[in-house]
Amino acid sequence: MKNLEDLKKQIKDGLSELDVVIGWTDSFDPLHATPHFMRSEADVDKLKVDALCVHNLATYLPSLKGKKVGIVVKGCDSRSVVELLQENLISREDVTIFGFGCSGVVDQVKIRRAVGEAGMVESCEVSGTEVKLTVAGKEHKLPMADVIADKCQTCRYPNAVLSDQFVGEEIKPTASFEDGYKDLEEFEAKSTEEKFTFWLGEMDRCIRCYACRNACPMCVCRDHCVAQSRDPHWLSQEAHVRDKWMFQVIHAYHLTGRCTECGECQRACPVDIPILLFKKKFNKEIKEVFNYEAGLDPEATPPLQTFKIDEPTIKEKEW
Amino acid sequence: MKIGVFVCHCGTNIEGTVDTAAVAEAAREFPGVVFATDTMYACSEPGQDEIIEAIKEHKLDGVVVASCTPRMHEPTFRKTLERAGLNRYLFEMANIREHVSWIGRDREANTNKSVDLVRMAAAKLLNNKPLHAKYFDMNKRVMIVGGGVAGIQAALDCADGGLEVILVEKTSSIGGKMAKLDKTFPTVDCSSCILGPRMVDVAQHPNITLYACAEIEEVNGYVGNFSVKVKRKATYVDWDKCTGCGICMEKCPSKKADNPFDEELGKTTAINIPFPQAIPKKAVIDPNFCIKIKRDKCGVCAKVCPSDAIVYDQVDEFVVEEVGAVVAATGFDLVDWTVYGEYGGGQYPDVITSLQYERMLSASGPTEGHIKRPSDGKEPKNVVFIQCVGSRDKSIGRPYCSGFCCMYTAKQAILTKDHCPDSQSYVFYMDIRSPGKMFDEFTRRAQEEYNARYIRGRVSMIYPKGDKLVVRGADTLMGDQVEVDADLVVLAVGAESAHGASDLAKKLRISYDAYGFFMEGHPKLKPVETNTAGVFLAGSCQGPKDIPSSVAQGSAAAAKVLAMFAKDQLESDPAVSVVDIKRCIGCGKCISTCPFGAIKEVDFRGQPKAEVIETICQGCGICTATCPQGAIQLQHFTDNQILAEVNAVCRF
Repeated sequence: MKNLEDLKKQIKDGLSELDVVIGWTDSFDPLHATPHFMRSEADVDKLKVDALCVHNLATYLPSLKGKKVGIVVKGCDSRSVVELLQENLISREDVTIFGFGCSGVVDQVKIRRAVGEAGMVESCEVSGTEVKLTVAGKEHKLPMADVIADKCQTCRYPNAVLSDQFVGEEIKPTASFEDGYKDLEEFEAKSTEEKFTFWLGEMDRCIRCYACRNACPMCVCRDHCVAQSRDPHWLSQEAHVRDKWMFQVIHAYHLTGRCTECGECQRACPVDIPILLFKKKFNKEIKEVFNYEAGLDPEATPPLQTFKIDEPTIKEKEW
Repeated sequence: MKIGVFVCHCGTNIEGTVDTAAVAEAAREFPGVVFATDTMYACSEPGQDEIIEAIKEHKLDGVVVASCTPRMHEPTFRKTLERAGLNRYLFEMANIREHVSWIGRDREANTNKSVDLVRMAAAKLLNNKPLHAKYFDMNKRVMIVGGGVAGIQAALDCADGGLEVILVEKTSSIGGKMAKLDKTFPTVDCSSCILGPRMVDVAQHPNITLYACAEIEEVNGYVGNFSVKVKRKATYVDWDKCTGCGICMEKCPSKKADNPFDEELGKTTAINIPFPQAIPKKAVIDPNFCIKIKRDKCGVCAKVCPSDAIVYDQVDEFVVEEVGAVVAATGFDLVDWTVYGEYGGGQYPDVITSLQYERMLSASGPTEGHIKRPSDGKEPKNVVFIQCVGSRDKSIGRPYCSGFCCMYTAKQAILTKDHCPDSQSYVFYMDIRSPGKMFDEFTRRAQEEYNARYIRGRVSMIYPKGDKLVVRGADTLMGDQVEVDADLVVLAVGAESAHGASDLAKKLRISYDAYGFFMEGHPKLKPVETNTAGVFLAGSCQGPKDIPSSVAQGSAAAAKVLAMFAKDQLESDPAVSVVDIKRCIGCGKCISTCPFGAIKEVDFRGQPKAEVIETICQGCGICTATCPQGAIQLQHFTDNQILAEVNAVCRF
């Protein structure tokens, strides 16, 4: 990141007012970044912001409610912060948002596929155009376009939509709404049987680790998640595709009109099930029915969190 | 829990296509069920006694009745349980009539579905808990919306019963459509002569507060405790000072104002009292025509007013009235008949509506009771009446019969002969509908004694020829085409719900049909109730009605209000949402989705929490579906109860 030093200065300036600032730093190997909780200037010096910083840090905010928290956000992360604000799950005065313009993050699955499971990563350099890494003595040069996350290829909000401090220049988005849903349209064009078989196979691989839920910034049922609740006893613990699938459908329903498509659920999935597709389906429906996108305007009311006798976009009388 | 299951035959209604004995047999295997039987009529006296005996004999503490819709008999069976000493919420109903026997003929499939529905009911019952109603006070005042004859009757009956009544009327005088009529069928007595005294009674009754020129702005609260915001529209006249002397009307130079009371048959003055018997008899300025308000000139009325009542800068005012019940009596309006090109679409001045004709016949009308053609003021010789204009016509979306047009057309034909003895009336009709006391005799009299010529058929075209209108139509009895040279054509225009009725319905949270008429609680057994507790209906707002029916409904609605207020307190439905404070995280989503404003935020040891106001909650369950934590649960329909039903039916 070009303006990393500016960002560090902004954070250091704000640190005295804040209990903690969440960012990213180096992880167990050079190919990965990890969430980083900064409480001192020395912590801030370790801050790292590049295409490896995939995590949506907004996930931590609800559990830090009541504390003064700073957070470094990409465009997609900022939408989650906005949605949390809209839902009254965090309060605006407690959160300081450090935003920047993001040019995309990598998809570790794509890198893994290109490089193979070759053991320890010795070095990794990320530039705007390529990822250069040495694995088991062998150097790989991967063009960024080949390893960038799918969601970044069709990103419409690369800049933080809400921030107290914005570092660097804004990035101009190029994708349209339709671009983001081409994969969904392709999938929906398949026959019902094909789709059913596909999901049956995918869902059968689920190991019920609930990493998707834990990574999701909008999963706020917490102790009362249907996955574990005994009262009501929504799901059995049976290792059956029925219960696994049911959970994903409920997860998608709970996110209807709320999901900001940060893609954390799918990224966190250890068996690479494309569960973001469910959420995209509902987002597309919400856009069509209510002309609404989640996490853009802190003042807006999510369409399913209000009651109107007449919905402006639904002309019931003309049916 | 020991559950008893009773599968009703409903005569042959259910038994005809469902093997009720087999359903009972299957039910004996369900968890918790210790007794199951089929029964001829569960709702009958012996049927209920059988349930009570079974409860005692088998020590049942839960009952499932598989019969008709709970809307019909759930209250019946709940009372049966209470008579047997059980809590009324330890009862479940499986609807195997409307949902099964009436909609399918396959006895085996019907029996299987009935078994599933009973299994669901029993599974839910196992999760039911006793619930207890609470009691709350009510505000024993009533608001009546609409001052037509139905509203007047309801107001007088309620006031005579000792209630404080707020009567709200949109226009500047009560009286409604009846005040515009000349005579009434079938007695041909003067409409304003019989209505006038009732209107005076309203004005003089100590228990009635009348807000004319007023509309309902907002309705909050619930049965027994409504809070209604009323908008009192600016009249530009201080009604406390106005004596109704009418000097302002005589002197007003702006004489081309709209005249809705005379159905736009002629113009009136910008400051106006619509008719001599108006209640309240107070002047109102139409700001669209007042020279002073529009151009700051004139000011004549203020100069001539002996009581100094004119206030040109008056603005709308709002008053809030606390009432326990509301009666909607908003009446009807005429269908827009100008959609019919065959009747000239409104371009021929001598084609008028029946209501305009009433004003023409009325001695207080614009022609002072003389029948004059609007075009040239001449007395007509041939008068053609066309019935069913905008009634019984699917093509314009008005498939219903307006009910009273046949009768008033006969009356108008009779009056035409009375006013102009050498005139001839022609009536084009589809069917004559006169099912009332003395009604059919009346239409015969129009034909036999007053020589009105009734032609069974529709009119295809009206076109001008010289100073006449040629009415071309079919005579389906003769099988021939007919043409009549008419001097005046009167259209019996059908009724539709009053303009703006659907807005009021939304404010009152009552439903309305595709034509805007308000929905009654039950088409036969609850004709003046609505599905919103504390809101009642009277008159044509529920569907077109003649005067005696409207009056009867006004009285019926008053009886319902008086019966409700006769109780000391109202019982609240315990099937409302309840917040589990340990689970609630205070996000407030339930508050923002509640359509009734029934949930408020409270402070619990420094934490925000949701709290349900039990009397306002209507038990719709939106909050339950919204709450991420499952912290708010609709009693009697909790997640566990519904999940039990789902698991009972989805067994795989």
